[in-house]
Amino acid sequence: MMVYIVSILSIIFVVGFVGFSSKPSPIYGGVGLFASGGVGCGIVVSFNGSFLGLMVFLIYLGGMLVVFGYTTAMATEQYPEAWVSNMVVLGSFVVGLLMEFLLVLYVLVGEELKVVFEFNEIGDWAIYDTGDSGVFTKESMGVAALYSYGNWLVVVTGWSLLIGVVIILEITRGN
Amino acid sequence: MNPLTLSLVLTTMISGTLIVMTSSHWFMIWVGFEMNMLAIIPLLTKEHNPRSTEAATKYFLTQATASMLLMMAAITNLLYTGHWSIMKLINPTASIMMTMALTMKLGLSPFHFWVPEVTQGIPLMSGLILLTWQKLAPLSVLYMIMPLINMNILLIMSLMSIAIGGWGGLNQTQLRKIMAYSSIAHMGWMLAVLAYNPTMTLLNLYLYIPMTITTFMLLMINSTTTTTSLSHTYNKLPLITTLILITMLSLGGLPPLTGFLPKWAIIQEMTKNSSIIMPTLMALLALLNLYFYTRITYTTSLTMFPTANNMKIKWQFKNSKQTMSLPLMITISTLTLPLAPMMMILD
Repeated sequence: MMVYIVSILSIIFVVGFVGFSSKPSPIYGGVGLFASGGVGCGIVVSFNGSFLGLMVFLIYLGGMLVVFGYTTAMATEQYPEAWVSNMVVLGSFVVGLLMEFLLVLYVLVGEELKVVFEFNEIGDWAIYDTGDSGVFTKESMGVAALYSYGNWLVVVTGWSLLIGVVIILEITRGN
Repeated sequence: MNPLTLSLVLTTMISGTLIVMTSSHWFMIWVGFEMNMLAIIPLLTKEHNPRSTEAATKYFLTQATASMLLMMAAITNLLYTGHWSIMKLINPTASIMMTMALTMKLGLSPFHFWVPEVTQGIPLMSGLILLTWQKLAPLSVLYMIMPLINMNILLIMSLMSIAIGGWGGLNQTQLRKIMAYSSIAHMGWMLAVLAYNPTMTLLNLYLYIPMTITTFMLLMINSTTTTTSLSHTYNKLPLITTLILITMLSLGGLPPLTGFLPKWAIIQEMTKNSSIIMPTLMALLALLNLYFYTRITYTTSLTMFPTANNMKIKWQFKNSKQTMSLPLMITISTLTLPLAPMMMILD
């Protein structure tokens, strides 16, 4: 069963990259890349890397999609409109802010939603579930190591991601 | 480029190289290479035109392939030895793959095609960074894994680089391409001696970088990129012709100048190790390099190309380019051969 899943995923993986490299337009190239990336996460999950696969799917693909959408939007408009450049846009923005402020006020003053206030059982979320064996998996140990003595690695990767966005915007922006 | 973006990009480029040079874990070395490669791309496309985009794409594809090979080699070594340490690249397959990856990043011979193509498409300042700073990281890794490198592969690749670096520049009129081929040849010299005495590799690097900086600074004064425009230097800045002459001869490795020192030291080191054929071939092939350097000096300072009469007498504008560090760089790159006895502090 496992072999079938992985082989099917691998076929989709390669087909996605073939579609990506023979792209008719960068937009559809992005679609191919996203399909292949998602399927690649599926392959990693199939090899027992459930946490790694999920993280790559959420962070790599999520971040890639955001940056992709952002750069596409930047490439379409040379001088993008801001919130203050149009009275209607500014008006709807202000109205939206006002509505949210009123809603928050309504929740806080009217005590309509108990769940908003009694959301202090945060301990329930922080218990580590180690399964029956009581042994941490490799992946959770790796994450723990990353955030304890590998803290500078987090700094380096965070910096790289940030600078990656800056560089991609700088390249795609044109002049 | 926006000054803020430029400073961010330059910081990332420099810190990428520093991460590579200070790491002992293959993963961090890979991260450093990727940071460095990503950060150089906006510098290559500083002038937005199709040629620079093409150059940046070529650079990106080559370097990404090399990074992938590097990661593959590190993982292969991890599979066989169980650790990520840079000093223990014991698996021969991993060692060969790592050598391939790093030489691809350096632009050594079977993987040299990107160097002239990329250098020709980018501004002079970016070319200067590409041919100097970008060599530091791969060379430092090669220096560290030196004891476990397959020597035959390295020597064949370096001999091919010296040959191609001399050969490719022969019929070339574009100065950036000539500098790229010169870089390929110098990389060949550096890696040829790596197996015998890595200190000499460093010596060659230390002297190659100032010579390249000087050459590029001299070209940047008039934004010269072709031999034809170099031959008009005499009626803009006559003194520069002499400086280009002496710097070119130093790059070629003529005896009273700095460029002779690394060639001398490398040939001596190799003959001391009873290697006779290899240094002979290298010295002979370096003559190809010397030929095109000499042609540049000839067109710059010894002859006048046929031109229209009104080009021969030009209005002399005051030069507005900042050339503050040029005297120092000229001195370093031409007159430091008498400091050769100081070489022993490198050991």
